[in-house]
Parts: sequence; structure tokens; C-alpha cells
Amino acid sequence: MIGRRRKQVMNAVQLALILIAILIMLVPIAWIFMAAFKNHIDVFQLKLFFTPTLENFGTVFEPPFFLGHKLMNSTIVAFVTVVFAIPIATMAAYSFSRFRLTGETTMLVVILATQFVPAVVIILPFFVMFRDIGLLDTRIGLILVNLAIVMPFAIWMIKGFIDGIPLDTEEAAMVDGSSRLQVIRNIVLPMAAPGLLTAGIFCFIIAWNEFLFALILTNKDAVTLPIGLALFKAEEGDLWNLLSAAGIIIMLPMFVLALIIRKYFVQGMTMGAVR
Amino acid sequence: MAEVILKNLTKQWGDFVAVDGQSLEVSDKEFLVLLGPSGCGKTTTMRMIAGLEEPTEGEIWIGDRMVNDDLPKDRDVAMVFQNYGLYPHMTIFDNIAYPLRVRGTPSSEIEPRVRKAAEQVELTQFLDRRPKALSGGQRQRVALARAIVRTPKVFLMDEPLSNLDAKLRVTMRAELKHLSRELKVTTVYVTHDQIEAMTLADRVAVMKDGVIQQLGSPDEIYNDPANLFVAGFIGSPAMNLINGSIQGGQFVTTGGTQLVPVGGDDRKEVVLGVRADDIRVSEAGQGNIDVPIYAFENTGEATLLTVQWGRQRVIAKGDRYLRKEQDDMIGIALNPEHLYLFDPSTGSRIRT
Repeated sequence: MIGRRRKQVMNAVQLALILIAILIMLVPIAWIFMAAFKNHIDVFQLKLFFTPTLENFGTVFEPPFFLGHKLMNSTIVAFVTVVFAIPIATMAAYSFSRFRLTGETTMLVVILATQFVPAVVIILPFFVMFRDIGLLDTRIGLILVNLAIVMPFAIWMIKGFIDGIPLDTEEAAMVDGSSRLQVIRNIVLPMAAPGLLTAGIFCFIIAWNEFLFALILTNKDAVTLPIGLALFKAEEGDLWNLLSAAGIIIMLPMFVLALIIRKYFVQGMTMGAVR
Repeated sequence: MAEVILKNLTKQWGDFVAVDGQSLEVSDKEFLVLLGPSGCGKTTTMRMIAGLEEPTEGEIWIGDRMVNDDLPKDRDVAMVFQNYGLYPHMTIFDNIAYPLRVRGTPSSEIEPRVRKAAEQVELTQFLDRRPKALSGGQRQRVALARAIVRTPKVFLMDEPLSNLDAKLRVTMRAELKHLSRELKVTTVYVTHDQIEAMTLADRVAVMKDGVIQQLGSPDEIYNDPANLFVAGFIGSPAMNLINGSIQGGQFVTTGGTQLVPVGGDDRKEVVLGVRADDIRVSEAGQGNIDVPIYAFENTGEATLLTVQWGRQRVIAKGDRYLRKEQDDMIGIALNPEHLYLFDPSTGSRIRT
């Protein structure tokens, strides 16, 4: 009986710890959610009950904020980044996974090492280069920078998925009469599809949330959503309600993507189990 | 329809020699089994025939064409893999149809040919399923159907039965044999299971350390092993290998005094090979020698008697109704027709 009682206590402790962890993570988000629907007076009070308003979501798209333009920039930059990153990363990952390349390990480590370089360190050279070739404050410039950021990540992630495809399957396809390209198209791509989708969504999230480079390399035309948040500063202080509304607009696609990713991530993990 | 010819085939990875200058001719429509323990180079040999591995040296001929530089797809072979190598994202129908589709077979022909192949391996009711929904034996059948759906010059099978459970393996073995006699296509079959080799093969090539030790019909390698390795590898229970010497035409065990007539010149060190079946078990006093039973095992279909003969233990097969106890004395007699002598230093057979 003592053992059982002890187990109950342990379960309760476990539950409490989980709840605390969830609370720590969710409270800021909950605050944002509430603030976004408050008017500019309520927002400075920690009220749980208030009359919700959608007004903020309208205001942020109006002058002088023009959030629509930033939303467009963010969408284009993140989307084009993914469109280029995934095919290129897939080709690189396939080569790393299936061929013995000279200097393979070194290349892989170097690719990974680029991730360790703090962005602040290389942002100045980027700024100078972009200024000289006229890429400053352009979407193309941002896309290039984002590609540099997500590619190493995408290559490693997709390589993991391709490694999980049994070599037998590919060899069977080759003996069955496929060329290498047919093997990739008919066998590898469909089997790695959940992985590619997962990697694509991760890249989208990274590009969508990218802040530092966008802050330095853009000032008007190519400003993205995260930078746009900084606009909600007025002489009377920070406009918390508008800031929150914009925050929700930034977060919403991420929530949707997270839901999709969850489904495919599991599928991607179990795919290799088929023998 | 074609023969497969290997000429001085060698495969090396750095210093490691997987296949060492092997030559082999597989005749048209022959079922040849490459048999050996793991790491003996049998799979590597097959993968070189398939074109999945490039030979370091030597030539591979399929029919009248040297295929060394041909891609796997251009060699016109079909291969069955140990792990089946099915396409998990396709239905069984599409799996079987893949070799036809990728080779541009007209779509009107595909359907009947897939159905026919599926019928031959009894898979017709599963064509809409995915590989995931099939059992191991059924998956292996899909792999077989995919191989037989077109008529390749050569079938290559890489341990196709070793992932199946023991009972299924026996059933599939018979099906495979039936199918191979029906199709009459040149086949190279890799296995480490000597029973598969014995039952399926027209000829068996026993390999060790990248070298073919003996090439012959199952009867030949069983009844006339070329060396110690083949003798010890083929047969279950394994052939008894007894150390001793020959003195005046008699075999004397090391440290023992028991004698068995074998004939031949005197030799200081020999290994006598005798199969369990070739040792006749009788009551004490009625055989060549009397020995105590170390262990008595009843397998149901026969009895296995491990006896202590001098310093060595020897397995004899007894009648299924024989009943003995441990430490009982029995007489054993060696069938003089089927005794094999080997040189322990070289492992080669001594023929008298």
C-alpha cells in the first residue's frame, strides 16, 4: 500500500512540474494574445476580463505602420528561400549520403561550422558587400543571406532522412533498370518527401523569424515583419496592443506549420522502418 | 538466356581482398549457388555481376558481352535482395510493374504480365496493398515477382530466405526450386545455408576468404569434399574431423590407441573425416571399437550420439528408435567407403 501511495505522490509531483514548465512557456504567449485584443487603455492593466476588440488588427495595416508591405516582404523572402534551399540541399545531401567524396567529412564539418559563426561577426562584411553591389535593402539580398543561414541546416537534416532510406531499395531500382536520376526521382524523392517537407518548413520558420540580418541590411523597401515590430514605438511609449497584434500575425503561420510538421515529422521518422 | 563468365575477378578495398582472382563459368539455365561463411566474398562476387560493385581487376561476361563498364540497368539481370528492397511508397502492383515501366514497356502489356508474375508467386489478392501490410514471406514473394516479371538474362539472389523464420524458409525453398525449374533462367544464388545450397543448386561453389574452394554438384561436394574447409562446412551435423596418424594402414587417434583400417602410407599427422551417417552404431563389442556415450540426443527423426573417442568427441547418427543413456558403452564402426583423409597443415585432401 505504501508503494502505491508513493506512486501517486510521484505522479502528482510529475504533473506539477509539467504544468509549471508549460506555464513558463505559455504565459508570455497568452499575454500577447490578450493584449492584441485589448484597446490602448486596457492594455496597460493586467486585466483578465475586458471587452475584446479587433481594432488593433486593422490599425497595424494602416499608415503609418503599413504592416501589409512587411508581411509581403517576409512571405516572399521566406518562400523563395525555401524554394531554392530545398532542391539544392537535397542534391548536396544525396551526394553526401550516397557517394564517397574526397574530403567528405571535412566538407560536412565545414558546412556545420558555418552555423557556429555568430551572425554579428559577419554582418559588417555583408553590409559592405551588399552596399557595393547594390543589394542593400532588397529582397534578393535578404534571400541570399537567408539561404546562407538555412542551407547547412537543410543539408544535414535531409541527409539524415536520405541515410534512412535502405540502400537495398535504391540498388533494387538500379538493377530493375533505372538510371541514377530515375532512382532519385522515382524512389528517393517520394520516400524522403516527409523529410523534405519537414526541412522545408523548418527553413521557412528560420527565414521568417530572421531578425539580425534584416535589421542591418534593410531600412525601408525590404523590411520584414520582425523588424516591423520596432515601428510600434510612439512618443507616448510602446504601443503594446499594436505590437501584440503584429506579433500574432507573425506567430499564426508558425502555429499552422508546427501542426503540419508534427504529422509529417512522425511519418518521416517511421518511414525507414519499412524493410 | 545466357551464361555468366568471370575471369580472374578481384575486388579489393585498400588492403582487404574480398574476392581474390576468381574465375567461374555459369552455364546457360544453370542454378549456381555461391556458398560460404559471412565475409567470404560471395555477396561481393554477386554484386559485381549485378554491377553494384566495380571489380578491381578481371572481367565479367554475361552472354557474349563483357559487361564490366555497363551500368546495372544495362546488364539485363534481375536481383532479389536479402532485405527485399521493395519500394515502400508503391503498391505491390506498382512494385512488380516497376522494372517494366522503367524500361518503357507498353502499358497494355504491363497489366497482364504483372498479373501472371503475381500468380506464379501466389500474390494476386495483395496487389493493392503496400509492402508494409505484408508479412516477411509475402514481401519476399513480391521481390521474386518483381524479378520474374520480365525475362532477364540472369537471376541474382542474395540470401533471399535468410530473413524468414525457419518454417517459412523451408516452404519458400521448395517454391523457389519449383519456380526455378519452371523458368529455366541462369541463376546465381548466394547463401551461407548449406541446406539451401544442397537442395537448390545444380552446382555449388564453396567459397572461403575470397577463393572458391570447390566447385561441383551437391553430391560431389557432399560426398567428395576437396579439402578440410569444405568437409567441415557441408553437412549437418558437421563432419567429424579427428586428429591422428596412419601407422601400417591403420588410423590411430592422437594420444589414443584405437585403430580403424584406412589404408595408405604411414603419415605422422592426418585428419580423418567421417560423417555422422557413416558411423554405424551397435552394441558394445560389435563395432571397430567400444566407446562411452558423452551425450545422447533424440531429434525425433533420428538419434545423435556424441561419443568420447580418446581425447576427441565424435557424433554418430543412430536409428530413431535407439535408446541409450549417458556413459553407456556402445560399439561404433566406420564405413570404409566414406572416410576422408586430410593434411592438417595444408587442409588439402589426401587421396589414397
